[in-house]
Amino acid sequence: MKKFILTLLCIVSISITLSAQQKFSTKTGTINFEASVPSFEEVKANNENVSAILKDDGTFASLALMKGFRFKVALMEEHFNENYAESSKFPKTTFRGKINDFDMSQISEVEKEFTVSGTVNMHGTDKDIEVPVMIKKDGATLILTTYFVLKPGDFNIEIPKVVSSKIAEEINVSATYLLN
Amino acid sequence: MKKRRNIVLLALIFMLGLYFGYNYMYQDHRDIKTENAFKSMPATDLVNIFKANASPEELNKTIEVSGTVSEIDGNAITLDNAVQCSFDAAVEGISVNDKVTVKGRCIGYDDLFEIVKIDQSNLIK
Repeated sequence: MKKFILTLLCIVSISITLSAQQKFSTKTGTINFEASVPSFEEVKANNENVSAILKDDGTFASLALMKGFRFKVALMEEHFNENYAESSKFPKTTFRGKINDFDMSQISEVEKEFTVSGTVNMHGTDKDIEVPVMIKKDGATLILTTYFVLKPGDFNIEIPKVVSSKIAEEINVSATYLLN
Repeated sequence: MKKRRNIVLLALIFMLGLYFGYNYMYQDHRDIKTENAFKSMPATDLVNIFKANASPEELNKTIEVSGTVSEIDGNAITLDNAVQCSFDAAVEGISVNDKVTVKGRCIGYDDLFEIVKIDQSNLIK
């Protein structure tokens, strides 16, 4: 009988450890991008409804709906959606990857830099990236921030010659996720 | 005399062009609040439409959705775990389990959480 109880306890404790995989997520992450050229109209957009999920083994996934990017100039937003991102045909941009050497026990209130590698899918095209990501903890919330550069050409997005002088070739992207 | 009139006319056309050009370049954003809803439906119906078709006619349209608040997160509420509606400011006066109707712009389907997202939301009731 004693043996039976011990085995039972063992099984229970193992199943608890197995199910203890923690998941942090948000539906309201922020992505900003800017492709401004000095002395021309600001080319800048902001999306505050980006989803992301981080598992404690470092697996990270994020999804941004292209129609959720808001510009200051309405016509620019229209052109972005219709001519460049073609957001009716390709409604979302995703990232799937892994934060290298991610270890929950290393996360503290002090920001720590990791690298995240994975695949961005935008405009129906895949592109592998490896970028730095800063992670810190605030209470039970994990705060992830990252900053990187993307090129429209890598995603089959053609910028017509007429406007190419007004849109930077390199697009600065920054993202912030408050994961709960 | 005739020459002068031509110059005045040209200047007028130029100014008109400038005026319309400027208005075209800096036209206003859509005002979702005053737009009539393209369709009105329960939150669970909207998510099923997007599960069946990635780019249905509801995309980018102003939609009125109704449902029970299942989550509140800053500027956004989720209805029946099916539709997330984000407001331009923090949500006040709504709590979880309230039955609400919200009008906003449908921006697409998020397959990480299996929800439809709506932005520029306004509370109807």
